[in-house]
Amino acid sequence: MESASQSSREQILERIRNALRARVPLPASRAEPRGIFSPIPSPLERFAAECAANYTELTLTANRMETVEALTKILGELPVGEIYVQDVPELRELITRADGREVKWSSQGPPSEASQATITQAEALVAITGSILVSSVGCGGRGSSIVAPCHIVIARLQQLVPDLERALAMVTERGLPARSSFVGLITGCSRTADIEKLLVIGAHGPRRLVVILQQ
Amino acid sequence: MHGTAAQEFLRHSVEKTSDLEHRRIIRWNIDNYDTAVGRGKSRFADWEAARDRCQQIKREALAHLDEYLLQFEKQVIDRGGKVFWASNSEEAREYIRDLAVARGVKRIVKSKSMVTEEIHLSPVLEKAGIEVWETDLGEYIVQLRNEPPYHIVTPAMHLTRLQIAELFRAKLPDVTADDHQSLVAAARRALRKAFFSAEMGISGANFIVADAGMIAISTNEGNGRLCTSVPRIHVVVTGIEKVVPRLQDLAVLWPVLATAGTGQPITTYSTLIGGPRQPGEADGPDEFHVVLVDNGRSELLADAEQREVLHCIRCGACLNACPVFRHVGGHTYGATYQGPIGSVLTPHLRGPEFSHLSYASSLCGACAEVCPVRINLPHHLLENRRNSVRAGDEPVKESLGFKLWRWAMQDATRYRIFGALARTAARALYSMGYEGSSFDPAAAWSAYHAAPEIPKQSFRQWWERQDGKR
Repeated sequence: MESASQSSREQILERIRNALRARVPLPASRAEPRGIFSPIPSPLERFAAECAANYTELTLTANRMETVEALTKILGELPVGEIYVQDVPELRELITRADGREVKWSSQGPPSEASQATITQAEALVAITGSILVSSVGCGGRGSSIVAPCHIVIARLQQLVPDLERALAMVTERGLPARSSFVGLITGCSRTADIEKLLVIGAHGPRRLVVILQQ
Repeated sequence: MHGTAAQEFLRHSVEKTSDLEHRRIIRWNIDNYDTAVGRGKSRFADWEAARDRCQQIKREALAHLDEYLLQFEKQVIDRGGKVFWASNSEEAREYIRDLAVARGVKRIVKSKSMVTEEIHLSPVLEKAGIEVWETDLGEYIVQLRNEPPYHIVTPAMHLTRLQIAELFRAKLPDVTADDHQSLVAAARRALRKAFFSAEMGISGANFIVADAGMIAISTNEGNGRLCTSVPRIHVVVTGIEKVVPRLQDLAVLWPVLATAGTGQPITTYSTLIGGPRQPGEADGPDEFHVVLVDNGRSELLADAEQREVLHCIRCGACLNACPVFRHVGGHTYGATYQGPIGSVLTPHLRGPEFSHLSYASSLCGACAEVCPVRINLPHHLLENRRNSVRAGDEPVKESLGFKLWRWAMQDATRYRIFGALARTAARALYSMGYEGSSFDPAAAWSAYHAAPEIPKQSFRQWWERQDGKR
């Protein structure tokens, strides 16, 4: 199997190299097209509008106290069961204050199938699409943003970037490709339109995506 | 019962075109799509500039394809992943089957991947005694019906909610109602068990990102995320042409793919994966394999004229825009890739038996207008036609006819005599009721259309008379 692949690998590469001898005339070089997307004058305003459009529940808080209150309120609405939390000091502190729930930390393994909610931080928030950027090293793994019916993201206003270009540049600057086996841009909750092209919220992933954004 | 692929195509085209219910369903779906895409495009300041950019990115990627693939491979290996290069479908299938058997895999969850359809992966795995679960809702529906996907983006486009409800009630234990929400919930319950018991997840890749050494997967339902997060082995199956040079390129390609595919600003889960679980990560698969499939792509790359066909990002826009697709439907093509892109690609992937698909177009050009990476599809259909004629794949009647025509029109007298003969013969044939029959040289047209009345005089005779009157 290994040797077959080795020879296929060489053969495919050779075929590609031979194929590329046939040059395709490139069009007269154009300047980098600019202005594909409109500029974003107010990232927070745009982020809030996009969240409303993609069914992300956005809660803005003024300080830590309000963040704890908002989190407590959401946890209170959830059915009994495991809450999975990314194991970082900031979230440990929040959770001890918003206690009373059965908690599993990301340091104890992946979330269980029956988790009721996951709580994580984000790498960044992206205004243009109302997305959150997560990574497996920085946000408690892969399952932490997909397994439970509710995903709660605790973020700060400084994490908001205007567009995808900036968000992807950040992925590279932080060296995430080398450190993190997964990086995900999440825009709203899980959905499908596979039946008659009509939108249904809550397919296989979270039905609720909550962002608590502390200013 | 089964004729050649070309005969089957004609038979199904006639059936589907006269199936008004089928046409109603497709029209309803595509109207919904058109509305969403119209809204989606208006979010761009300059959609045409975005198309230019995407075309540029893909052109650059292909021009250095070998280097970018190696750059990708190195990083995957550094993270502990494996890369398998498959020259053809068989090599890809065998690698995945052998891997699954060697690891004792009993159940596989698959997220949507057209390349796995192209290489006919599932039957081989099932033969080895492995359960294969399609987890994209549309794919799951057609799998339950034992059908191939109808459309590369919307696999169950040909079915109504009520047909799906009927199917689910027959196959699933707990279907409560037949509204959209309940049907999705029933599928979620059934598939959730599969996600958490499967040992292997198989996904495709929308892009292979060379500089980051990661693959990109776009999924709305989150099934792609679960397939790649929960099972202990993740296998990616993708074509070698999916490369983009830089992570930064996704800042345009992600929104463009989503807009052209469904009208969304960006797909809900736009995911990058570069390897198995790394030290310090809470979860993720222990094994990560990427199967890079050539299967005829390098031959297309060698064809400077048609290389850009490999730009395709499988958004499905050309299918939705195509009047032929809208009438004959996806299954009629008898191919993994339907619509204009399928008509261009399939003869390359599956040989001259499918060269008839290049004729399944009125060359109206709607596909080229919507293609987000600016593939000149009608042009490539014409090139395919020319190539198949050159290769000798042409009906004898047609090649004889053209030879005769060429000979006749090289001389005015000859042309006049042949014109008069042809007119007289046709008038005689049609007056005896042979219009559209096998005696009629124009039967391909006149079998389905009323032939125009054939004039008694030639244009030349008419002209001389008119001119004389002046």
